[in-house]
Amino acid sequence: MRSSRRLAAALAVAVVAWAGSGCAVIPVGGPFPVDEAGGGDPMSKPFQRMIAVPPQPAWAPLQVVQGLQAAMAAYADEPDVLSTYLTPAAAKTWRPDGPVTVIANRPKYDYVGKSDGDQVVIRLVGTPIARIEADDTYMPYTGVGDISIDFTLVKDAQGGYHVQSVERGAGLLLTMDDVARAYRPTKLYFLAGPPGPSRLFAERRLVVDRVWLRVKPTENFAQTIVRRLLEGPSKALHGAVGSVFPQGMSVRSVRSDDDRVVVDLHGPIAPDELYTDGLKAQLKWTLNNNDMANGRTVEVQLDGEPFYSSDPFVIRADDMREDWLGSNVSPAYYVSKGAVRSLGDERAGNAVQGPAGQPNELYSRLAMSDGGAMVAARGTPAAGGGIWVTRVAPDGRWQRWIQGRQEDLTPPSWHRDGTLWTYDRANGTVLRCDPASGRGPERVAAPGLDGLDVTRLRVSRDGVRVAVTVGKNEVRVGAITGGGGAPMLGNFQTLTRVTDEEIRDIAWRDGERLLVLVQSKNAQSVREIYVGDGQSTELPATNKRLESISALGQRLLAATEGRKEILEFNQDKQGWVSKVDGGDAANPIFSLG
Amino acid sequence: MPPTTRNVLRRRTLRQILGGVRRRARRAVGAVRRAWRRSLQLQVVTSTLVISVTVVVVLGVFLSDQINKSVIASSQASAASEAFADRVQIAAALSLEPDDQAKPADAGKSAPADPLDAVMNTITGSGENGSKKRYEVLVLNTATPGASRASGKVSPRDVPLALRQGLERQAKNLRYDKPLRHQALIRFSGETQPRLTLVIGGLIPPDAGASYEVYHFFPLNDEEQMLSNVRLAIVVVGFGLVLLLAAIAYLVARQVVTPVRLARQAAERLAAGKLDERLKVRGEDDLARLATSFNEMAGNLALKIHQLEELSQVQRQFVSDVSHELRTPLTTVRMAADLLYDAREDFEPMAARSAELMQAQLERFESMLADLLEISRYDAGAATLDLDSVDVRDVVLRAIADSEALAERHSTRFELRLPNEPCMAEIDNRRVERILRNLLFNAIEHGEGRDVVVTVGADRDAVAVAVRDHGIGLKAGEETMVFDRFWRADPSRARTIGGTGLGLAISREDATLHGGWLQAWGQAGEGSQFRLTLPRTAGADLKGSPLSLVPPEIEMRRTWRGQMTPVLLPASGDGAGHEEL
Repeated sequence: MRSSRRLAAALAVAVVAWAGSGCAVIPVGGPFPVDEAGGGDPMSKPFQRMIAVPPQPAWAPLQVVQGLQAAMAAYADEPDVLSTYLTPAAAKTWRPDGPVTVIANRPKYDYVGKSDGDQVVIRLVGTPIARIEADDTYMPYTGVGDISIDFTLVKDAQGGYHVQSVERGAGLLLTMDDVARAYRPTKLYFLAGPPGPSRLFAERRLVVDRVWLRVKPTENFAQTIVRRLLEGPSKALHGAVGSVFPQGMSVRSVRSDDDRVVVDLHGPIAPDELYTDGLKAQLKWTLNNNDMANGRTVEVQLDGEPFYSSDPFVIRADDMREDWLGSNVSPAYYVSKGAVRSLGDERAGNAVQGPAGQPNELYSRLAMSDGGAMVAARGTPAAGGGIWVTRVAPDGRWQRWIQGRQEDLTPPSWHRDGTLWTYDRANGTVLRCDPASGRGPERVAAPGLDGLDVTRLRVSRDGVRVAVTVGKNEVRVGAITGGGGAPMLGNFQTLTRVTDEEIRDIAWRDGERLLVLVQSKNAQSVREIYVGDGQSTELPATNKRLESISALGQRLLAATEGRKEILEFNQDKQGWVSKVDGGDAANPIFSLG
Repeated sequence: MPPTTRNVLRRRTLRQILGGVRRRARRAVGAVRRAWRRSLQLQVVTSTLVISVTVVVVLGVFLSDQINKSVIASSQASAASEAFADRVQIAAALSLEPDDQAKPADAGKSAPADPLDAVMNTITGSGENGSKKRYEVLVLNTATPGASRASGKVSPRDVPLALRQGLERQAKNLRYDKPLRHQALIRFSGETQPRLTLVIGGLIPPDAGASYEVYHFFPLNDEEQMLSNVRLAIVVVGFGLVLLLAAIAYLVARQVVTPVRLARQAAERLAAGKLDERLKVRGEDDLARLATSFNEMAGNLALKIHQLEELSQVQRQFVSDVSHELRTPLTTVRMAADLLYDAREDFEPMAARSAELMQAQLERFESMLADLLEISRYDAGAATLDLDSVDVRDVVLRAIADSEALAERHSTRFELRLPNEPCMAEIDNRRVERILRNLLFNAIEHGEGRDVVVTVGADRDAVAVAVRDHGIGLKAGEETMVFDRFWRADPSRARTIGGTGLGLAISREDATLHGGWLQAWGQAGEGSQFRLTLPRTAGADLKGSPLSLVPPEIEMRRTWRGQMTPVLLPASGDGAGHEEL
C-alpha cells in the first residue's frame, strides 16, 4: 500500500515536471542534431535601381535633361518613361540601341544661350569612362578627353519642356553610379580552343570572359548569368573559345532547391553526345566564381525533367579536376650571366641542366615552355640573331628555329600547345614555330596588327589571348582564332594607352590579368589590368628602377635595371622584397606567360 | 418516339426518382429518429459532440484570433521600427552635402557620389559586403529628377493607392511624423501570384524642394505560413479533441447505460412472469445500489404476488366450495319451491305470489350459482373445450331461436345477415352458443325494442359474428368494462331478464378459450355492437377479423364527414394488438 502511494506520488511529480517544462514558451535543453537547411538563396543579390519619374510641367529645362538622364538609367526596367521626356517626333526616331556610354558622376549641365523661351539648348560635359557594348563587354576609355552633348528642348503647349534632339543621337548615357547600381561585373567561362560542343583537344581549359551584366528585377541574377553564358562569348573571344551549349539554348530557370542549385535548360542539346566535362566545368565555374552556387551541388535539368531520361545530371563540388584554369604553381627562374637558374623561396638556386644553364652572352630575353622542358631566347648579334631554342636536358643544344635580326624579332613567347611565337618586325608578320610539325616558322595572319609597330608579343597561359605592345605606349589584346590547324590573330582591342609614359614590359599573371610595367619620367609603376573590362589596379611602386617583369598567379618577379637584383612582390606586405642581389641577375622567368 | 412522349417518360422517371429519394430520406430520418429515441447512448454522444464542437469552435476562433493579432502586431512593430531607422538614415544622408565627383580611375570602387545611392546601398544591402534584407524599399520624389530609388522589383505602381493618397494628404498638412501602414495583396512585376505585403509609408521632410516618400515593403509570407500552420494545428487538434470527447462520452455512457439496459431487460423478464429474475450486483456505486433495490423490489414483488395468488386461490376455492355446498340445499329448496309453485293456485293470492317470486328468484339463484361455478372453473383452469367442426350459421340460428321468446317480449326483431356458404369452424358448440345467447339477450335488453342485426362473416382463417343493437349505446371507455364481472352500465336500472352480471365475463372467457376475441363497440345514442371472432382451427393465432368492429353505416358516415382515415376505437381485450377493420 505504501509503495503504491510512493509510486503515485512519484508519477504525480513527474507529470507536474513534464507539464511545467511544456508550459515554458521555448524549452531549454540539448544538444540535438540539427537539420541543415542548405545555403540559403544566393541566387539573387540585393540591388537598388533608379526609379524614373515623368517630367513635371514646372520643371526647368535643366531638370528635364537631368530627368532624361535618370530615365535612361531606368530605361531597361521602365522603358515607357523615357519617351515622356521626348517630343513625339523625337520619341519616334530615338532608339536605345548601340553601346551604352558611361560617363563620370555629376556631369556639368550648362545652358547654351538663353535659359528659357520656346527652344533651349543645354550642353552636358562629362568625362567618358567606358562603353558597354551590346555583347556586354565593358570597354574603358583611356586617354580620351571630356565629351559634350547638346540637348535641344522645346516648350510644349502646356508650358513644359521636352527634348527635341540629342546631339550624339541614339544610345543610353549612364553615369558611373547608374552602372554601379544596375550592372555587375561577371565572369563567364568558356572552353579554350575553337567553338564547338565536342571535345577537340586533349586538355581543354576554361577561359574567362569578363562581361558586365545588367541586373533584371524580374529574374534572379543567376538566371541572367546562365542566359548570357548560353549566348556565347563576347567579341573579344569570338572564334577563340567554344561552348558546349549549342545555338538556340535557353534557360528556363535557375533556382535554389534545398542543398543544390537547379539549372533548368531548354533547347536542342543531345545529352548522349554531350561533352559533359565541359558543361560541368562551364557551369560550375561560372556559378561558383560569381558567388551564385558557393560550392553547392548543381543539378542540370532539361525542360524541367532530369537531364538524362533516367538519371539527373549533377555537378558535385568535388568531382571536377582543379586544373581547368591551369596551374598557378610553377618554379621560378632567372638569368644570371646568361645561365638560367632556378629561384627558390629564399635564395638563388642551381642552374638548369643543359646549355641553357651554361653562362653565355649569346642569348637574351629567355622564355620557358610549359613544364620547363624547353627554353627559347633571342639571339644577340654575336649569335647571329634569330630565335634559339634548347631542351632543358644534359644533351640539349641550342638550335635556331627562326632567322632574323635581334632588333627585328620580339622576345619569344611559348604557347601551351608547345608552339613558339614571335613577331617579325622587319616583315610585319607574326611567326609561329611548331616543332611537332617539323616545318619551320609559319606566318600567322594578324590583320589587326597590320602596319603597327609591334614591340612585344606575349601569348597568355590559357593559349587563347595574345597581348602586344604597340610602340612604347599602347597595349592591345587579341585572341588566337581559327583553331590549331590554321591559327590567326584577331579581335584586337586597345587595353591601355599611356601618355607621357613608356611601357617597359608586359607579363601575363593568368588568363585574364595582364601586368604592365610603365615608366614615367620620374617613377615606375606596375599596373594589373583585367583584359576583360580594362579594370586597372596599380601595385605599390619601388624606388628601384625595374627592367622586366614576370608573373604567375600570386607571384610577381621583377628584374632591376643594370642586372643588379631580382625582386618579388609580397602580397601580404604589399611591397617588393629582394630575392637575388647581385650576380648579374636579370630576366625573371615563369613558364609560359 | 415523339419528343413529347419521351419528355413524359423522362418526367415520370424523374418524378419516380425524386419519390424514391424522398421515401428513402423519410425512411432514413425515421430510422435516425427511432434510434435517437431508443438509445440513451446515442443521445449522450450526440449531445457531447454538439457541445464539444461548439466549445472547440469558439475556443479555436478565439485562440486563432489572439495568435493572429499577436503575430501580426509583432511583425508590424518590428517593421515600423526598421522603417523608422531607415527613414532616419535616409534623412540624415539627404541632409549632407554631396561628395566631390569621383575620379574616373577609381570610380568603380569608390562610394557613390549621390548620397541617396550611398544610403540605399546601406539600407538595401546592395553595397559591398551587404546582405539581403527581408524587405524592399522605395524612395519616391516625383518633384526632383533622378531622386527616386527602389530596391528589388518594387515600383511606384506597387504602392497601394490609399496609402499614397494618405501620404499626400499628410504632405499637404506638413505632417511628417505619422507614418502610415497598409496591408495588401500585391503582385510584383515578374510574379504570377500576389503576395501579402505590409507596406509602411513615411515622409522625409524636405530641406528644400519636395519631400521624399519612403515606402517599405515587408513580405508577410512567413507570418501567413506560420498562422496557416497554427490554424491547421488548431483545426486538427480541435477535431481530435471532439473525437476524443465523443469517444469518452461513448465509453462513459456505455458504462452507465449497460447496467440500465440490463435492468430493463430484467424488468421485462420480470414483467413476463419470471419472478426469479435478478440483477448482478457489482461494487457499491449508484448502479450497484440500483441493482440491489431492483432485486429487493423483485423479491418483494414476487412475495406479494405469491401471497396474492395464494389468497386468490383460497378465494376461488372458497367460491367453488360455497357454490358446491349451496347446491345441495338449493336442490332441496328448489324441490320444495317447485311443489309450492305447482300448488300456488291453491294458495291465497298472497301466498301464490310469494311462491312465484320465490320460484323466479330461485331460478336466478341457480343461474348465478351455475355461472359462479362456471367462472370458478375458469379461474381454476379447469375449463376444457369439446371441439367439433360445425357451421357457425347453425349455431347462430339456434341461439336466435332460444332468444325469440325474450325478443317477442321486447318487441324486438332480428335481422339476419348470413353468408350463403357454410362457415365451418372447430368450436365448442355449447360454449359458442352460450356466448351468442348472452350477446343476443344483452342486445335485446339494451336494444329498446329496435332491431337487432346479427351478421356472420368468414374468411380463410376466421369466422366472426357481430351482434348490433340500436339502443342507448356505450359511453366512452365502457367497451372494456362491459366484460367485467357484475358490471352494470346503470346500477339504478332494474334487470328485466334476470342477468347474473357474469354473462359477458363468461363469454369473454369462452372466446379466449377458443383463442378468439370478443370485442365491443358502442357510442352514446348509436347503439352498440359486439363482435365474436373465432379461428377456424382451434388454437390458431388470429390475425384479423372478417367483420368490422365498427358498424359499416357508422364507418361510412365518418367517411362522408371528410375523414379519410377512420378513427379507430380502442379495441378491447385480446384483439387489441391485432386490430384491423
